[in-house]
Amino acid sequence: MKKNRFRIILTLGFVFLAFYFLYPTYKDSNFNKEIKNLKTLEDSTAFFDKNGADILSAREKRIKLGLDLQGGMYVIMEVDIPKLLQDLSKKTDDIFKASLEETIEASKNSDEDIIEIFDAKLKAKGLSIKAYYGEIRDEESKIKSDLKTEVDNAIERAVQVVRNRIDQYGVSEPVIQKKGSSRLVVELPGVSNVEEVRKLLQGTALLEFQLVIEPQIAVKVMEKINTLMAGGNVDSLIRADSLKEISRKDSLLSLKKDATKKDTTKTIKKDSTSITQKDTTKKETVKKDTTKKTTTKKDTTKKESTKKDTSKKKDTSLLTDTNLNPADTNQQLSEEEFKLKNPWFFIVRPQQFQDGSVAWFVKESDKPKVLKILERKEVQDLIPTDIEFCLSNRTLFVDQGEGIYQFYILKKEPELTGGVVIDARSNIDPQNNTPVVYMEMNSEGSADWARITGANINKQIAIVLDNVVYSAPVVNSKITGGSSQIEGMKDIQEAKLLEIVLKAGALPAPLTIIEERTVGPSLGEDSIQKGLYSSIIALILVAIFMIVYYRFAGMVADIALAFNMFVIMGVMASFNATLTLPGIAGLILTIGMAVDSNVLIYERIREELTGGKPIKTAIQIGYKKAFSAIFDGHVTSIITAIILYQFGTGPIQGFALTLLIGLIANLFTAIVMTRIIFDIMTDKGKSTINFG
Amino acid sequence: MQLFHNTHIDFLGKRKLFYLASTALIVIGMVAFFAKGLVIGIDFVGGTEVLVRFQNDIKINNIRTAMEQSGISGAEIKTLGGERDILIRTAEPGEGTSISDRIKEGLTKNDPGNKFEILRIDKVGPKIGKELSTSAIYATIFSLIAILIYLAFRFEFFYAIGSVVALLHDVLMTLGIVAITGALIPSMNLELNQAMVAAFLTLIGFSVNDTVVVFDRIRENIKLFKNENIFTVMNKSLNYTLNRTIITNGTVFITVLILLIFGGEVNRSFAFTFIIGIITGTYSSIYIASAFVVDIKSFQTKRKLNTKAGVSVSKA
Repeated sequence: MKKNRFRIILTLGFVFLAFYFLYPTYKDSNFNKEIKNLKTLEDSTAFFDKNGADILSAREKRIKLGLDLQGGMYVIMEVDIPKLLQDLSKKTDDIFKASLEETIEASKNSDEDIIEIFDAKLKAKGLSIKAYYGEIRDEESKIKSDLKTEVDNAIERAVQVVRNRIDQYGVSEPVIQKKGSSRLVVELPGVSNVEEVRKLLQGTALLEFQLVIEPQIAVKVMEKINTLMAGGNVDSLIRADSLKEISRKDSLLSLKKDATKKDTTKTIKKDSTSITQKDTTKKETVKKDTTKKTTTKKDTTKKESTKKDTSKKKDTSLLTDTNLNPADTNQQLSEEEFKLKNPWFFIVRPQQFQDGSVAWFVKESDKPKVLKILERKEVQDLIPTDIEFCLSNRTLFVDQGEGIYQFYILKKEPELTGGVVIDARSNIDPQNNTPVVYMEMNSEGSADWARITGANINKQIAIVLDNVVYSAPVVNSKITGGSSQIEGMKDIQEAKLLEIVLKAGALPAPLTIIEERTVGPSLGEDSIQKGLYSSIIALILVAIFMIVYYRFAGMVADIALAFNMFVIMGVMASFNATLTLPGIAGLILTIGMAVDSNVLIYERIREELTGGKPIKTAIQIGYKKAFSAIFDGHVTSIITAIILYQFGTGPIQGFALTLLIGLIANLFTAIVMTRIIFDIMTDKGKSTINFG
Repeated sequence: MQLFHNTHIDFLGKRKLFYLASTALIVIGMVAFFAKGLVIGIDFVGGTEVLVRFQNDIKINNIRTAMEQSGISGAEIKTLGGERDILIRTAEPGEGTSISDRIKEGLTKNDPGNKFEILRIDKVGPKIGKELSTSAIYATIFSLIAILIYLAFRFEFFYAIGSVVALLHDVLMTLGIVAITGALIPSMNLELNQAMVAAFLTLIGFSVNDTVVVFDRIRENIKLFKNENIFTVMNKSLNYTLNRTIITNGTVFITVLILLIFGGEVNRSFAFTFIIGIITGTYSSIYIASAFVVDIKSFQTKRKLNTKAGVSVSKA
């Protein structure tokens, strides 16, 4: 009986866990149904406002459908190493070209590293790889390993560029993965516009240096949009010093929330990087050192002042602001009212800093809304043609549990494009242990850069890759000679990212698509339906057969079968596994396999019963004797499933995974679960159980 | 209810006959396979495949001319499960350039009134195709080796060899039968693709499961009937497990049959291969794996007797 109790608890535990993990999937499908029923835009906005967080979390935890079921695109891209070799070489003469051609041919039928093949081809012509790459004193092996690092870097850049673009394109739940040393796997659910995506994936990255518009002009444009959104209501027309007020209002809101102790430390971090000339001589380094110290000091004070800013401003404004109409007065204006009066500033929040600069911030959850609004024609009409809005590539800080993006207002015409950058390196400055990025430009770019930086001292120049701002350093000085250094990054990762971005403009990573699979949405739906039908029919037929053949015991086996299906789905949800069409096939096979274990046991029990054993002993012996066959059979199948998982790709892996989970679940249900029912019955003194 | 009761079928008596039959069938199957009886999908050879669904029925010859006009020559064009679904396949991988766009263009020009929808596009470069085929072969070989090792631990070594021989038999036999069917009934659209490889690996798992159940019973019965020879013990074990063999394989057969009928075009290659696999797997557990062990064992005892006799002779 004690043994039974343990097994019952175990079984119930599994059922509970399966329920727990499957609940989000259930919720997600419910949400999807409701969303389908929403008709007007207002309805859906309201629905998302209300359930946004729940929808997202359910979506994250549900069983995901593979691309073959929901439609979408699967692409494998490879860095074009020969192209990269050509781009990197110091010179390209005829021998180089001929060797490269031969390398391309040879690599088609070889798994060897392309750089090694190329090296061999050059050697065959009596040349060394040293003739084309690296410094004269470098060892051949060093040059080769450097080239391999370049390939690695290229794939890193490609990942960054591709991710950036896909994020902007707005695909939900994309997968972007490095595969091996030179490949990139991209999965885009729900995408069907193949040409557009292909362009997106293969186009060269566009790196631009754009000037950040001065606050005075920016504010005017923003106010226009705000007014438009507030319905052009005169009451909400914000007067000259509105910015201060709104900025205060914003901090006011935050402070109110501070009071509720939701978030005690409020830190507004605007991008605080700066750019200066990189010094080459030692003397100057010393000089630079002092200037840098002042800059960093300034930086920190700025940050501190920001913090103070928020609190101080509140006090002062409370006392001094007389410019407001009564309804508008300070803290009486609740969040709701503020939203009503200043809808645009509610989602793109301005923040004025003590040094007079203004930065704009957007909550992560508001980002899609902001982008939508900016797309509208009437809004577009308000934006001067020479101005462009961009967001930061990442959230800069977290406020009240939510990531905050910085919103940039840039001059549309780029000052300079990334083609002039010839190198970028990230490092830790040994002097003060802060991350720094060095950037080199070619001579042509250097001249322009000197002019641009000279004319914009103390202003920000944004580094923009494919319309996303990665950094907007303040220009500290005129930079001549083309060597710049950017400092003020949060950590080395951020510096590394900036390096990748700067290089993406300098040396694009040439990518070729080597595999591409697209499934249209209707085929996906078709497949789901057919797969589902087959599974259900199979399940019902098998269940009926078991009852007909084994009577009561067959019913027990059917309960186990249902439990089994349930546990498989639960485990899949908990693994965040993807259900593919072959996965459904795997599920159907599991049904067959699950029956096998029960058949083995029941046949044994029948044999014992025919031998005249009492029911209790027959069950005991039946389970015991069937065990070794069930175990060995399952282990061998599990072995093949694991190998299948290792070697297969995409959908096939899905099949292997469902089969694997199914086999393991099966082992449990067959040996532990059905036994409980029989044991309870015999313990209660039943002398006959119908095994058919 | 019981299918078979107390049977005494002499399974192993006619094993030589079945050896012969199996070999003959495998040879025919392999001839069919190598004579291009089975279409090898773009997964392994590379190429572009576009599946299109038209609003109205379409004449396949029209499509053919339309494709030739847009410069896609030598494309394989066929209908798939109806006159509205058309599959167009070319050997060109279309790296960089977009074959699929040209196909689309050609189709639109052909009959602008008959709107169509792209259901699926697959493009596989030759390099990837080669990689996929090597990994498929490796997967098969590795799983056979892994099974050999595991069974050698759990049973005697000869049993492990016996089951792996049976598995090889299953793979070759299934491949052969699928190739023959593909050649005889082209409308089945059977092709060697990733899904079919999955079917092969699954059938390996299933067939070995079936063999293991039989061997498990033999392992048990050898201890029970110590005085009887291996031939009788094996035959007995096969009879004991007959019910289970038929019921289990019968239910799996039914489930896969349902998949074959209702699972649609996508699952067809998988389901058909697996159905053949279940039949050969069941058959091979008895007539190949067990028979192999019987022959090896009797050969062994004969040799033992011979050497013993030889020793005694020399001593004398």
